[in-house]
Amino acid sequence: METVVQILVSGLTLGAMYAASTIGLSLVWGAMGVLNMAHGALLTIGGYASYSAVLHVGLPWYLGLPAAMIVSFVVGLLIYHIIFRFMYRHPAFETNVIIATVGLAIFLEQVTLLIYGAYPFLQPFSIEEGFFVSGVFVRFQNVVILVLAVATMLLVAALLSRTRMGRAIRATALNREAAQLMGVNVGRVFAQVMGIAGVVAAISGVMLSSITTLAPTMGYDPMLKAFIICVIAGLGNVPGALIAAFILGLFEAVVQFAVGVRFGFPALLLLVIIALIWRPYGVFGRRQVRRV
Amino acid sequence: MFETGPNWRRDVAFGAVLIAVLIAIPFLGPSRYFIGQLTLFFIWATVVSQWNLVFGVAGIFSLAQMAIFAFGGFATGMMGLYLGISLWFTLVLAGVGSILFSIIIGLACLRLRGPYVALLTLAIAQVMYLLIITDTACFYMEGVTCRNFTGGTRGLAKFGDFGFRELLGRREYLKGDYYLSLFLLVLATVFSFAIIRSPLGFAFRALRDNPEYGVSRGLSRFKYQLLVFAMSAFFTGLAGGVFAGHFRVIGANVLSLPLLLFLISMMVVGGLGRAWGPILGAALVMLADEGMKDFVEIRNMGYGALIVAIVVLLPQGAAGGLEQVWDWGRRQVLALRGGADRPAAGRAGEGRRE
Repeated sequence: METVVQILVSGLTLGAMYAASTIGLSLVWGAMGVLNMAHGALLTIGGYASYSAVLHVGLPWYLGLPAAMIVSFVVGLLIYHIIFRFMYRHPAFETNVIIATVGLAIFLEQVTLLIYGAYPFLQPFSIEEGFFVSGVFVRFQNVVILVLAVATMLLVAALLSRTRMGRAIRATALNREAAQLMGVNVGRVFAQVMGIAGVVAAISGVMLSSITTLAPTMGYDPMLKAFIICVIAGLGNVPGALIAAFILGLFEAVVQFAVGVRFGFPALLLLVIIALIWRPYGVFGRRQVRRV
Repeated sequence: MFETGPNWRRDVAFGAVLIAVLIAIPFLGPSRYFIGQLTLFFIWATVVSQWNLVFGVAGIFSLAQMAIFAFGGFATGMMGLYLGISLWFTLVLAGVGSILFSIIIGLACLRLRGPYVALLTLAIAQVMYLLIITDTACFYMEGVTCRNFTGGTRGLAKFGDFGFRELLGRREYLKGDYYLSLFLLVLATVFSFAIIRSPLGFAFRALRDNPEYGVSRGLSRFKYQLLVFAMSAFFTGLAGGVFAGHFRVIGANVLSLPLLLFLISMMVVGGLGRAWGPILGAALVMLADEGMKDFVEIRNMGYGALIVAIVVLLPQGAAGGLEQVWDWGRRQVLALRGGADRPAAGRAGEGRRE
């Protein structure tokens, strides 16, 4: 029983964090066709922004998260205005942008390293207390992570389905030219999407660093896993990504417990490759038929 | 058989001069450091030339090239260490093994398209990295110290080298590695030129530029992409083996993200899909790297910014830029000669991505 609870707690926490990292990635891909390799860097910036807001600015610990959201929001907007804005009309945009964001990722990582160094700081936005569930100690932080992740998803979903902005984003995702012809300002939609992606990345960055530590490269691993989840779910499919995130989080927790921590990620990858050979467009993805 | 291209004679002449200069350099008494850096340049340019076939010419977003490189390096070293055979022999075996390894990756990844391929290949490289650095189990004992099968975080060493130390002596052995890697680069470059200008190259480019049309003309996307994947793996694996033999050690750090980025930036700076791109790009990026040597802290930052700037400002790369300058120059010369057989195309250089 204790093991089951332990696996459930760690699996759900992992799943919640993967889900939060995945939303931003999936949204950016769905709306803009951008595979954002700098998403991990946005996560990292969020984590450090919360740290700085509390330690250097002197805000109370619970304001770390809002501060991080604001900082990553601004960085997301800047990425659009400094890089994407000049690229998205180019026919080879989807290829070039991958390379550009790889460069950006390294750039941002190095900036973080230069400012903070490689010392593994602790995230102040964290609650040490906890409670017992059938003999297993559960930190409140794990609950906070789960609640935050679910709330974020619901908010993003509501934003996409209920607001004017969301409608414009969905229209752009469906067909950029048609949306443009209907008077949607595509550039502004892209900027909004990058801003939202920044906010969501900040949330997952703060959550992630609250159960590990801050490090300039901390965003890389969750980003890779978010990629895998996107691949499984089909890029751009937000609800599918959420289900996949929780399933894979639980799967990883089981493998880590049963076989060993170092085999968690390899097992995940193996599962994904098998799934993809079975369904090349993602488990929840539909085959895209393109007219020639 | 081969489409020699409009600039065929220029390419051969340029290549011959370049090879002659590179062969002559060790006789001019350069420093050991310079020879070492050039050796490294040959190795990276070899990898990039093969990666360019996959990424630039065939348009597959594969980030697995360094995984194949690492496979070649580790296979060379491990067979040398555990089987005790000469590295010359294991190098060739590792090259062939790399082909098989890349076919396995290709079978898993090439059913996918576009960015999915990038994601999965990156994940495969990362898994290799994690499995190597978390390898703590004792494979054999060396006195009282425990050695791991893959070398773990310390890296795999003590598998020997190519024997230039005995042959040429302690002072001169670097030249052996120099000529070996130069030879490798020449072979790999000739190979990639031959592929680019052969009917196969046309098939790859057709599937890159208009997959629907290519498929409807009877090209099998999966078959051709797997083919280019496997073909490019051979020299990549050999480069990994030469790297291992040159440094006498190979570690998981060849799978690190900064190194991947270093090589991508060579490909991008040179010009994706351009025949001369890899060599030009590798040379430019390594020169920039030399320039930034004194600023260790901002070095990676520099690459990052450089890549972004090149992609945004010069999407066709340095080779593309030079091509335009060359065409412009040739038009001027032809115009001076009387202009009777002046090429009709006004901006010939632009669209010609190979």
